[in-house]
Amino acid sequence: MTSLRSPLRQSTRLLLCLLGLGAGAACSTEEAMNAPRCDGGSTILAAQSVPPASLSPCFERLPEGWSFTTITIDQSGTTVHLDSDRAGDDAATLRFSETCDVGNAIEVPSDLEGAERLDDIERLQPGFRARVFYRFEGGCVAWRFDFDNDASATESVAIEGALRLVGRDELNANIRETFIDEEL
Amino acid sequence: MSDIDSDSGSQAAHRRRPSGEPPPLPREYDTAAIAWLAAFCGWAAVWGWIFLSDRPAIWITERDLELMSPLVDNRADWLTPSMQVINEIGSRWAIVVIGWIVLIGALAARRLRHALLFIASQATIAGIVTIIASRIGRPRPLGVTRIGVWEGYAQPSRPVALLTGVLIAFALSLVPPRPWRRRWYALSGLLVATFGLAQVYTGVDHPSDVLVSATVGVAVPLLIYRTLAPEAVFPVQFHRGKTAHLDVTGVRGDAIRLAMSEQLGFDAAEIIPMGLEGSAGSTPLKIVDTSGKVVFAKLYSSTHLRSDRWYKLGRTLMYGRLEDEQRFTSVRRLVQHEHYMLYAFEAAGVATHAPIGIVEITPDREYLLVAEFLHNAVEVSQVAVDVDLVDQGLELVKKLWRAGLAHRDIKPANLMVQNGRLRVIDLAFAQIRPSPWREAVDLANMMLALALSSSATLVYERARVLFTDDEIAEAFAASRGVTFPSQLRSVVRGDGHSVLAQFRDLVPPREPVSIQRWSLRRVGLTLWVALIVIALSSIFVSNLADIGLA
Repeated sequence: MTSLRSPLRQSTRLLLCLLGLGAGAACSTEEAMNAPRCDGGSTILAAQSVPPASLSPCFERLPEGWSFTTITIDQSGTTVHLDSDRAGDDAATLRFSETCDVGNAIEVPSDLEGAERLDDIERLQPGFRARVFYRFEGGCVAWRFDFDNDASATESVAIEGALRLVGRDELNANIRETFIDEEL
Repeated sequence: MSDIDSDSGSQAAHRRRPSGEPPPLPREYDTAAIAWLAAFCGWAAVWGWIFLSDRPAIWITERDLELMSPLVDNRADWLTPSMQVINEIGSRWAIVVIGWIVLIGALAARRLRHALLFIASQATIAGIVTIIASRIGRPRPLGVTRIGVWEGYAQPSRPVALLTGVLIAFALSLVPPRPWRRRWYALSGLLVATFGLAQVYTGVDHPSDVLVSATVGVAVPLLIYRTLAPEAVFPVQFHRGKTAHLDVTGVRGDAIRLAMSEQLGFDAAEIIPMGLEGSAGSTPLKIVDTSGKVVFAKLYSSTHLRSDRWYKLGRTLMYGRLEDEQRFTSVRRLVQHEHYMLYAFEAAGVATHAPIGIVEITPDREYLLVAEFLHNAVEVSQVAVDVDLVDQGLELVKKLWRAGLAHRDIKPANLMVQNGRLRVIDLAFAQIRPSPWREAVDLANMMLALALSSSATLVYERARVLFTDDEIAEAFAASRGVTFPSQLRSVVRGDGHSVLAQFRDLVPPREPVSIQRWSLRRVGLTLWVALIVIALSSIFVSNLADIGLA
């Protein structure tokens, strides 16, 4: 099962959790959840959270200054919150679910293969606020950006660049190859 | 230490315990708890090896899927909705509801320790589950259509572990051991099994997820409760009684018999708890030997020491350090203090009961203070108090003043009348060279205790023979709620209210003596305690969801 696991990035917080008997030190499911990384982590679980989706999100190495805060994966989808040392706390949220309410977002050329992209920019300055959607068969990934006033909107480009959409077939093949003869 | 006198026992036939021989009641190391811990550690090691190695993980996942496939491949239309409801209730509502019942129930039953242990237990389960889940990172069952609610990794199953934990904590906090606890365990097993079945049926957990989680849910609360709230010391019972009172049957009863025999040469045949309603700091006992002779004994344990510490901390926070609220540092010192006070009172000519000795049950943890049993003695509130008894009571206080002693717990339950003679008992709080304020409070409490069974006018008039008006005025100026022992306070608040009012009318007016003592230490301690309470409360509130309470 090694190939399905991510590096143990939160071991310190988890140790605190056990020592503190849950005393506010990351004993919650979402804080201890590994991120869906393209080399493992919770990518399989994220894919399981939206069974009809043909693609599933995963993260490459995060840009400098960005970090995962909480990750919630359940039967309704996957939510990833990210902090940035420049754009602020909870500056970006990624939501993976079966459908998205795109509102007035307009379609723009997509940078991710297999998905159409729609942007809804509410404000560029001060404090970049926008939503970006990637729609594909059976699923949707939505970014919500809410930056601090003095942060540049280009920070969103950097974090968007860390996102990949991996095909369900590719994940299934990986499971068969490294684990057992089953599918998501 | 004297031998039991002719009135209360035979001449002692002591037996010195040789080096290396265990004491009458060896310090309790709960073997069941240790066995659970060992079993759990072993299981955790195997479990870790299985899931952190590829080959065993693959093997066990294949077995899991084989086991669950008959269920998930043959879902029945009539059964599926029920299983989904059970999955949802077990995952979301049951833990919250039962958890709050445990918490509120334990607090309502004045079992703060059990309430705190419940929180610790659930937090530990949550911590273990979180750590293991993130390390194993097991996805939900593969190749299975999931039709239930779930969150996070599959192994261990968080809702199964928390639900099992909350059910076991319920038993250990609220259910008396026999026969109800066994029945509750059986019911809990059924509930967990049903919930586990629903988890597997709906495809959200593997069978091994359920099994492992149930093990965690049982082991953690059992270990925590058995270690930090052993049944022998913190029994779960619903009959009336104070938590300070220890069970003197079973193993402890046998230890008391052995210790009495070896250390005092007294062959105890019967050990009878007595006067429990009037005592909170120890377990008073009447012990009868094989020939029918009787002694009085007070059992002190570390429970009483802890109670004493909390009581004094509370008093210090509320009123400041009232000159003497130093806590005892060991049970041995607590019992030595009272034993010495019996001699000090006797030397001062104050009628009490004669000390016989200290019996060691468990070194530094449990002792028995043995004293003369007052045959045919009754509490002062049970007799008509005449002038003679009033004079004896007032004279008793005068002797204490002369000898530089204070009883500090004068109340009807501690004033016994034996053959027309007034005796004062329970010297646990007694003090040498008390402050004038303490002496004044002793006088006021004695006057109140006597007047409750006679009249305020009589007691006041007789008091003026031995004490000056200033002294009597000072006594009532120093007296208010906190200075009354709890028994006297409840009487004063009820029927005794008029007696206190009469005294206040009779005695010369005087400015109340302030009982609040402010110091840097008190301020610092108050801030420190407030900080801890706020921090713990905020941690608790912010983690309600993590421990299954929200």
